[in-house]
Amino acid sequence: MGQGKAVFLGVVFFISGLASPFLLSQSNEDCLACHGDAELKSESGKSLFLDNEKFLASNHGQAEISCVDCHADLAKVKDYPHSSPLKPVDCSRCHEAAAREFQKGVHLMASGTGENTLAVSCKDCHGTHDIKGKSDYDSAIFPINLPSTCEKCHLERVAAKKGPGFVGQYKGSIHFKALEKSGLTMSANCSNCHGAHDIKKVTDPLALVSRKNIIKTCGTCHVGIERNYLDGVHGKDYVKGIKDVPVCTDCHSEHNILSPQDLNSTVYTTKVAGVCARCHDNVALSREYGFLTSRLKTYSQTFHGTASRYGETRVANCASCHGFHDIRRSSDPKSSINPENLPATCGKCHPGASRHFAEGPVHVIPEAIATAKYKASHLVKNVYIIVISIIISVFILFIAADLFRRIIRKKKHG
Amino acid sequence: MDSSPLVPDDEVFLRMNLAERIQHYLLIGTFLLLMVTGIPLFFYEFKAFKWFFPTEQAFYFRGIIHRIAAVVLIINLVWHIFYATLTARGRNNLKDMIPNFRDGKDAFELFWHNVGLTRLLQRMGYFKKFFAAHPYWLFHNPPVFGRYNFVEKFEYWAVGWGSVVMIVSGFFMWNVELSLRFFPLWVHDVLVMVHGYEALLAFLAVIIWHMYNVHLNPEVFPMSKIWLNGKISGKELRLLHPLEYQKIVEERKKSLQA
Repeated sequence: MGQGKAVFLGVVFFISGLASPFLLSQSNEDCLACHGDAELKSESGKSLFLDNEKFLASNHGQAEISCVDCHADLAKVKDYPHSSPLKPVDCSRCHEAAAREFQKGVHLMASGTGENTLAVSCKDCHGTHDIKGKSDYDSAIFPINLPSTCEKCHLERVAAKKGPGFVGQYKGSIHFKALEKSGLTMSANCSNCHGAHDIKKVTDPLALVSRKNIIKTCGTCHVGIERNYLDGVHGKDYVKGIKDVPVCTDCHSEHNILSPQDLNSTVYTTKVAGVCARCHDNVALSREYGFLTSRLKTYSQTFHGTASRYGETRVANCASCHGFHDIRRSSDPKSSINPENLPATCGKCHPGASRHFAEGPVHVIPEAIATAKYKASHLVKNVYIIVISIIISVFILFIAADLFRRIIRKKKHG
Repeated sequence: MDSSPLVPDDEVFLRMNLAERIQHYLLIGTFLLLMVTGIPLFFYEFKAFKWFFPTEQAFYFRGIIHRIAAVVLIINLVWHIFYATLTARGRNNLKDMIPNFRDGKDAFELFWHNVGLTRLLQRMGYFKKFFAAHPYWLFHNPPVFGRYNFVEKFEYWAVGWGSVVMIVSGFFMWNVELSLRFFPLWVHDVLVMVHGYEALLAFLAVIIWHMYNVHLNPEVFPMSKIWLNGKISGKELRLLHPLEYQKIVEERKKSLQA
């Protein structure tokens, strides 16, 4: 809660507190005369009990807000028991700013009939008589508790387009682990990425998680990474508005973001190549943007790629040489794969890597770029294939002739 | 070759002594380990090899096992070189292993004897005059072999040559930093390529050629036991290595006369 809001609320409470004796309205004690009875039930059997202790501990109780401040339709009622049901509480009378934000959000428009139907109301997230602020450990919107609050609807009742388990994946993520296990309340919970009152659909360009805003949203916490990303080729194209360029979530996934050290992470060392290959092995994209295709294929042909396929984690993956957030073209002097920098890049794993490391094409398409340097091993390969074919053919011919003679001999001599 | 009373059929001769057999066991062991830990890298696209490396550590141990096997193979080779040059038996064997023109002729004659094409032509009445004047081309009898025939000589020198190629290329793959300090990248690329294809050649040669000659060949099926006990009988010697048999007969004749 902003400081301005708090002061505003204080003033509201103060004025209403001062004014209450003159309004001749009911005091909380009047209400509790009935609702303080734990046995009080409606005709349908619903409990009408109000736990005054919980209310007094809540933010509204602390601020000495009276029952009729919220249940305004009862302010002038004189006959008891009063009629029911009561009108829904209008929070916007005090919480104007939040209510205005809420008007723009997806929760208001959830019914999608054009009418602004209230699909989710304040109390669904904030609770009712026991409302507490987001910095209160017991609050439904305390960072550690918020995911469970959202899950009340989003786990099952609200279908996610990406499948039923999509929202639930968050609880397996590094973000939630940081919240729950380490108690790091600054770790991203639902509202850090999606917003609070004005949550919008991912397809809405104004949504915090839209392609247009996701970099900024993640960059709220991952400041350095945002900068690195914007320095790299992907970031530069992102700024230009190119729609195919990968943003944070394309490589790291969305709800189930994991540490790169986690085996199941999409950017775990043995999985990186597959992630990059989604675009860099795509012929259509390579034509459109003029980059080399078959990156995974040519990487797999190297020892690094082969070992990585078999689960070896200590070999170079794409990011080991190309970098990750600030990937640059090899022509960029700052690029880790600029020929000038290659000895140092290779030297990270191969101590004392000589300039020879960088002399030839590292993983090019043999058919497309046949340099003199590549030709030698290609020639050797072809010579071997011919020699092996001849030798094995001769072996098989000899064996066939031998077996043939034995069969003939057996027929003749029994 | 007719049986000689000087060399009874049931006499036992030592074809592979213990040192030679141990060298052969070590070669089998290291060869198998090197193949199992190496071939998956050559056929990296073959998905079935993935189960071979169930954990991250598996690939690491693959590298360790491959290198240990390589070192044992090198030690075995060095031992064999010393054995073949410094011991009398080793030198004699080595002398018998030296390939000569006769081996090529043997291979040629054995092949055409087995095929029997010229005999078929003769029976059908073709080239009658030619075959009457040159009965050699009918390949009536298969060639006779000495202690080591052309098949064994080929295998022996193929292992020798292959080992040297694999050791040299493997050494530089093991020490890639060293390799690239001496060589440009393309030379290293060639070494990597050679290591893979030479291995493939060795693998196919052993699986097809050696396995046929010592296991599947009906003459020895299911298996020649020489590699286990080193023993060969006078009869086997007479049938499979008649020239060696003859040599022994001659030697015994001489010593009897003396």
